[in-house]
This record gives sequence, structure tokens and C-alpha cells, in this order.
Amino acid sequence: MNESLHLETLRLLHFKNYEDASLTCSSQLNAFVGLNGMGKTNLLEAIYYLCMCRSPRAVADRHLPRRGSDFFRLEGLFRRHGRQEAITAKLRPGKKKTFERNGKPYDLLSEHIGLLPVVFIAPEDTQLITGGSEERRRLLDNTLSQLHAEYLQQLITYNKVLDQRNRLLKQFAEQQSFDAGLLDAYDRQLWGPADYLYRERERFLADCNPLPIARACRIPRTQVPFQVRYRSPLQERSMADCLRENRDKDRLLARTTAGIHKDDLDLLLDDSPVKRYASQGQTKSLALGLKLAQYRMLQQGKNTPPILLLDDLFDKLDTERVGSLLALLREQAFGQVFLTDTDEARVLDLLHSMGAAHRTFRIQDGTASPIVMA
Amino acid sequence: MNFSSKLIEQAVEAFAGLPGIGRKTALRLVLHLIQQEEEVSLHFAETIAGMRKGIRYCSTCFNLSDEAQCAICRDPRRDPSAVCVVESIRDVMAIEDTGQYRGVYHVLGGVISPIEGIGPEQLQIDSLVQRVREGVVQEVILAISPTIEGDTTMFYLSRQLQELPVRISTIARGVSFGGELEYADEFTLGRSIVARIPYKLQDE
Ligand SMILES: [Zn+2]
Repeated sequence: MNESLHLETLRLLHFKNYEDASLTCSSQLNAFVGLNGMGKTNLLEAIYYLCMCRSPRAVADRHLPRRGSDFFRLEGLFRRHGRQEAITAKLRPGKKKTFERNGKPYDLLSEHIGLLPVVFIAPEDTQLITGGSEERRRLLDNTLSQLHAEYLQQLITYNKVLDQRNRLLKQFAEQQSFDAGLLDAYDRQLWGPADYLYRERERFLADCNPLPIARACRIPRTQVPFQVRYRSPLQERSMADCLRENRDKDRLLARTTAGIHKDDLDLLLDDSPVKRYASQGQTKSLALGLKLAQYRMLQQGKNTPPILLLDDLFDKLDTERVGSLLALLREQAFGQVFLTDTDEARVLDLLHSMGAAHRTFRIQDGTASPIVMA
Repeated sequence: MNFSSKLIEQAVEAFAGLPGIGRKTALRLVLHLIQQEEEVSLHFAETIAGMRKGIRYCSTCFNLSDEAQCAICRDPRRDPSAVCVVESIRDVMAIEDTGQYRGVYHVLGGVISPIEGIGPEQLQIDSLVQRVREGVVQEVILAISPTIEGDTTMFYLSRQLQELPVRISTIARGVSFGGELEYADEFTLGRSIVARIPYKLQDE
């Protein structure tokens, strides 16, 4: 059994609806049960935040402190390859958020990404199928950033240069001016990062097939051929050509219209676009398949199972299938799992039947109390 | 804060307008100026006023200067054929502290950043091109921070200068520059200016 990454204790101060809560976790299965709106998902969000320096939902940091408060603090004591890693996240008014690893603050938050691999599976994952291309790029970027520190650096550079280039194009349009030399300066700075990001994305997607794991988990409605195909303008031309060819269009529309920031994944079910043909049930299953593929890629790439956060999984799967999913994860070098559910009896039964170490917490109005089994 | 005196209140507001000074500190400084001999406080005020009225930008390099031309540009022992291009006067001070550089400077006044509303026309770029065009300058050394904005500025400058008979060089990467230049270790900085390398553009 591989237990090379897990969260031992978690403390939340003024985070979301928690004033001051502490939890001691099982290294295997953990469940948060309680009614909706009591704060189950907030605990998953706190764990994710400690791993990724941001909320899994695109929520601004200033919305994370408890109502009436202007700061929060999260403390997570992790065990990674046998060593303790104390991670602290702090947000104070008027200051940038800070992260500390074993008491030492990070200079750059990006240095923390990838230390504690994590996958967050939530009902809104269906956006991966039905939403715009940015949803799918975010999944790609999230996975590759956790796998390679260099990827995140290149992505940050690309996005910063792109912001400057777009602002410049806007100024050209507003002032009816043009300076080809200055635009060249930005184009050149996009070439390197774009080519790097393209190569990494392509290589990653060649290895990534969401179907086998989804089938193995007996996720319903995945018996038909499901394909993930990478689509990027860089498949046909270099970033330099791409920018050159679109320069007039960019000037006209006052933004960078082509490049790696427009990449997408074509999701095909039986050779037809999933978006148009998938049923609601298929959509949920395929989104789950994509996330489980992310889990597997991280597990392989990091040589350790990521922490898995399962928010409201019973929305997608019935109890029996949740059971077989957990059983499968157990067989394959089982990592630490946190899940949420409204039905206490259902979860207790399930965890019991797994025969793995587990803890269940009853969540009520921002308090988490362990349920002790008689 | 409740003031019994309008004069004190105004002075506190003035101090509190300075970076890093809160109202409490501002009040302490004002009370200190009151407790001192009048002559001492007046001398302080006159020094500030004199500095502000007298200071100007050097007409050649745009370094801050007491005269129309700065002490570095006027110094006959400096080599006017080498011009080190920097972002701000802080960088000039840091490089001067190394004692390794014998050429002159050109202070841009920042780096290009459309997001900050700074384009080439907000910086001393035309004046640099003009200066090179006059023919004395044989080498331009770009000592600009290795950030996205710094890279943009360096590339843009090299483009503006490419038709002119001048060598363009840069200092080795890894030396902290721009805002951090003043904290850079003198030995490393001095050495990297002496051992500068030709500025090269990445090819397509
Ligand atoms: Zn001067």
C-alpha cells in the first residue's frame, strides 16, 4: 500500500463558514456528512487551497474569509514521502496572500504548485463537456502545472505577455496609432512559451485516455467510443507565423485572436461532438471520466496518488458505483480520499464495507465533529 | 485624529502623504519639528524646498542633476563613447557604487508597459536615438531588468538603434536589476558590466 501523500490534520480559522475548526484525518477514507449549506464543500475547498494556492472555483480570495471577518488562515499538516510538511496559508487585509512551508514563506506561490498533487471532482465538472474551451484548457493547465513546474512558469509568462499585447492593441485602436516594432517585441516573447506549452499539451494528450478508467469504474454510459482530440493552431504553423498571419485581424479586433490561448479539446462520442449528442447522464459520466484521467496522469507523473476530493459524487453515481470506484482506487495504489454526502447512513455503510481505515465527520454550521462508531 | 490647530493638521496631512508614513508617524514628526529650535526646523523646510526647486534632469542623460548637465556627463575622465541605458537613477547609483564603470548613462525613466500606460513616448527613447545619431556613441549597454517589460524595452530599443553604427550589448542575466539593482552585490554587478555580452535577438 502506497501512502506517500496524505493530510494528517487541518485547521481553518475564519475560512468560509468556519470560525476555528480542527480535524484529524484518516490517511485513507474521509467523509464529511451533513445537510447542504452546512460547510461540507468548504472543507474540500480548504484542502484544495492548501495544495493549489487558490479556490477550486474561480472565487476571489477576498470572498473566502468568514462573514464579518477580513482575514483567514489555513494550516495543513501533510505527510509526504514519510516527511512532515506543515503548510500555512494566510490572507490579511491589504496584504498579498502568503504561503509557508515548514515556517518558511514562499517567494513565489508558483513554487508550491505540484508539491501536493490534488484532484477535485465536483458536480460543476459537467462544464468540461458543455462549457466553453476555457474550461477544458483549465483542466489541461491545472494538470500540467502540477506535473511540471516549468509548465506553470511558461504559462504565467505567456499570459503576462499576452495581457500586455492585448492592451497595446487596444491602445492602437483607441489612439488610431500603430508601432510595428513594439508589437514585434511582444510577438517574439510569445514564441518560446507558446511552442513549449504546445509541445507539452500535445505530449500529454497523446498519453491521456479517459475511457479505460471510466469503464473500469463501471461508470455508466461509457461503453461507446469516447475520444479526446487536441486542437491547436500550432499543429499547422509556428506561433510566429500564427501571429504574423493574424496581425491585421488582431489590429482590427484590438486583441490577440490566435494562439495557444485558443486551444481546445474536441470531445467525440462515437465520432460525434459530445456537446451536441450526449445525454445529461452521459455528460456527467464523461466529465467524471476526464477527471479520473487527470487523477491517473498525476498519479503516474508524480509517482504518488494525489489527494482526491469528491464533492457530491452521489450526484453522478449510485451507491453501488461509488463503491466500485472507491474499490478500484484502492486496488491501484490507494491515495487519500475526502468525500461529501448528505446521507449519513449511506456513507457509513459504504465506508464500513470498504474495509479501509476511515473517518466520518458530521458537519453542522461550521463545526466538524468526528462520528465515533460504537 | 482631532486637532486643536489647523496648522498642525495641515502639516500632518502633508507628511502622511509620503509613502510609508501613517498618520501617527506624521504627527510624531510634526511635533518633533515644533519642539526643535525654530531655526533648525526652518532649515529643514528650506532644504526640501531648495532641493525641489533646484533639481532638474540632465539635458544629456536624464539623470537627476543640480545643473543643466549632470556631474557624470561633465566629468572629462568619463568615456562618452559608451552609454549604459538604465531604468532609473537608483540604477545609476548602484552601478556607480561598483566603481567599475567608466562610461556614461542614459536614464529611460521606466520600462514599456501598456498595462501601466507607459509607451515608448513616455520614456527617454527618442532622446537616446538622437544621442546615438550624433555619432560619439559607439556602444550602448542595455542594463535593464530581465522581466517581460524589460525584455520588451530592450527589444524595442535594439530595433530603434539597428540602422545606426553602434554596438549593442547587455549585461549577463542572473544579476538582479531594475528595482532590485540597488541591493545587488557590488562585486557581481561590477563584474557583469565589465564582462558584458553582445545583445542578440532570438531567431524565428
Ligand atoms: Zn548626465
